[in-house]
Amino acid sequence: MATSLKQSTVLVVDDFPSMRTMMLGFLKTMGVTATDNVGNAKEALALLAKKQYDIVICDYNLGHGKNGQQIFEEAKYKNHIGYSTIWVMVTAEKTMDMFMGAAETKPDDYLLKPVTVTLLEGRLNKLIERKKLLEPIEKAVKSKDYIRAIALCDEQLKVHSQNTQELLRIKGDLLMTVGDYPAAKTFFESVLAVRSLPWAKTGLGAVHFMTKDFFHAKEIFQEVLEENKMYLEAADWLAKSLDALGDTEQAQGVLAKAMELSPLASGRQKSLADVALKNGALDLAQSSYEKAIKLGEHSIHKSSNTYAGLAKVLTAKDNPAEALKVLGRSKEEFKDDHEAALQAAVIEGMAYHKMGEPEKAEEALAVAEGLMRAQPRNINVTTTMEMANVLFELGHKDKACGLLEGVVKNNHENTDILNMVEAAFEEAGIGEEGSELIKKTSQEVVDINNQGVVLANEGKFEEGIKLMKKALQTAPDNDQMITNLCGMMIGLMTKNGKDDRMIFEVREHLDRVRKLNPLNTKYNTLTNALSKLSSPPSA
Amino acid sequence: MHQEDIDFSDFIASSIHDMKNSLNIQVGFLEELMEECRGKIGEPMLSQLGHTIYEVSRMNVNLIQILSLYKLGKSIYPIDIAEQSVNEVLKEVVLQNQTAMGYKGITASVVCDEDCYWYFDRDLVTGVLVNALNNAYNYTKDKILIVANVRDGMLEVRVEDNGEGYPEEMLQESIAVKKGVSFASGSTGLGLYFSSRVAGMHKNAGKHGYLSIENGGTYNGGCFVLRLP
Repeated sequence: MATSLKQSTVLVVDDFPSMRTMMLGFLKTMGVTATDNVGNAKEALALLAKKQYDIVICDYNLGHGKNGQQIFEEAKYKNHIGYSTIWVMVTAEKTMDMFMGAAETKPDDYLLKPVTVTLLEGRLNKLIERKKLLEPIEKAVKSKDYIRAIALCDEQLKVHSQNTQELLRIKGDLLMTVGDYPAAKTFFESVLAVRSLPWAKTGLGAVHFMTKDFFHAKEIFQEVLEENKMYLEAADWLAKSLDALGDTEQAQGVLAKAMELSPLASGRQKSLADVALKNGALDLAQSSYEKAIKLGEHSIHKSSNTYAGLAKVLTAKDNPAEALKVLGRSKEEFKDDHEAALQAAVIEGMAYHKMGEPEKAEEALAVAEGLMRAQPRNINVTTTMEMANVLFELGHKDKACGLLEGVVKNNHENTDILNMVEAAFEEAGIGEEGSELIKKTSQEVVDINNQGVVLANEGKFEEGIKLMKKALQTAPDNDQMITNLCGMMIGLMTKNGKDDRMIFEVREHLDRVRKLNPLNTKYNTLTNALSKLSSPPSA
Repeated sequence: MHQEDIDFSDFIASSIHDMKNSLNIQVGFLEELMEECRGKIGEPMLSQLGHTIYEVSRMNVNLIQILSLYKLGKSIYPIDIAEQSVNEVLKEVVLQNQTAMGYKGITASVVCDEDCYWYFDRDLVTGVLVNALNNAYNYTKDKILIVANVRDGMLEVRVEDNGEGYPEEMLQESIAVKKGVSFASGSTGLGLYFSSRVAGMHKNAGKHGYLSIENGGTYNGGCFVLRLP
């Protein structure tokens, strides 16, 4: 980390040689001697991979290829730059598209041209100061010790400073990350009591959304947009809320309008495509997926889901041959991506089935089965359901039921998913048999969990851990089972003393729980217990 | 894209964008040149150079304002109202215009508490203040003072000069600003129109920002006043 501006190593990225010369002149005036400069994204990324920089001054608009934001995201994603690197984006004008990313993919500062030496020097010195202050918080976040990070925020928030606003936003994000929704609600409300700020109001809406109060969430996001129609993060949330309320038509409208305001947002373009597909607006879905693929071209955020979506639309539009081509491209683009391969195989099965080529469909599904066996964790529920549907249609009832049984095991308390499974059974004409299977499978999971609780109460943690780990082999994504496992591991450590490796394992498990089910009620208690356990004993 | 889909204002906007890039390079090199020349060439030449820089940055300010208004009009300006250190923002504005003012022997100073924080879009408000400084620069003798404080739930920023004050007809015009300026009137009115748009966009608890010009203040000269809720 840079301790002073003069000692910093600086990289300048700009496609205009005259701009680079000017910037280097500025840096020289400030007494900075360790500088490099490049004119395009490729060279920038190559240098960033090789060398550690304290400060990167990057032009946003670099002509063809990746823009400044995409370089920044890729460098961050590939760990070429750490949290201590100061990234300053230089731009001739502010555009909506520059402000779309999530908080963690925002550069440290934007500078509007013309940049003068005094302005640059002032800002860089401030940023170095700010990095120093935020360093301990970012370190805690990096090691996933969110509870500590929140405590550090509170500590710094005791005095009002230049960083107050930023600290408040970080704290809000952290409270959402740990899923402490009651605390998050109180927090956002207290910020809003002083002033209506779009980020805080959107945070409050997100609390309602996460706690499944979609109606209130919708109202709040609508308010944010009324007050500030350019705060498009609220439009994304509003669309999600409308979708959850079943109003997919309106969700489509909201996203389409947001795309007009910020036409380069590939993620939102994909969301628009997804909801259009749901609404059966196949032409819009097709053009939106195509646009999303194009927009994501240079971005690390490009997703195989977009290709899968386009292939699904094409299959639905009776053009399975074209769908297969898209899937071919996807396989090419996402070579070592397990999820992409699985998705492609399942949709290939759908396409071949539609083409009336059952043998090829079988072949594709056999590939999919192999992939699922090789990597049973984190399998997308939608992909599994789609696969089960094709299997039913091809007459493989047992295989289809097996898949759906797996879905139930992983989600035995998620009524939305259970309803989807039930609908799939009904579609296949075996509604009654299906309901029976759902009931039986759910009960099995409940029994194992209960057994675990008994063992834990008796202090037989090792035995309980063994039981849970075995059960998780067939239900790897069941968040309740994982939390029970974590409880027992923490119990064991409380009894026998802490073990760094086990602490790390529990942290990983809890992180998965958070992703699998943001509403898991035990997550918070366990995170706190772990935080207490892992902090050094007080004297 | 079909030919008829292109709005003429889009052409203006993209051309401005292009012109701005050229100007940015010009400003940068002129400033470097000025540093190089200091002490090597005579005062009158140096003063000419300073004036050139001032004119170039004035053009740049105008272009930024047109571009921002274009985007505000199309609702594609990413407004970011966040808490800012007022003291810091004001000092930065003064620094940004140091070169141009230095040559004319104008000193600009800031009077604002260190712990004065307020909510506004930093870039837009900076635009307003740079515009105000540029104006004051035309009217002042040799001093400009920027005073900021919070009063009755509003942030008040005053840009005061020690010149003759605004002419009577300009003080009249400022009433028109509040009603909305028409481009038809003699001077471009761009700066004031931009500033009043930006002020008005800042809203909080049913109040919105506004600006006014008056004569008086610390030096009994012209005062440009921006108030933000």
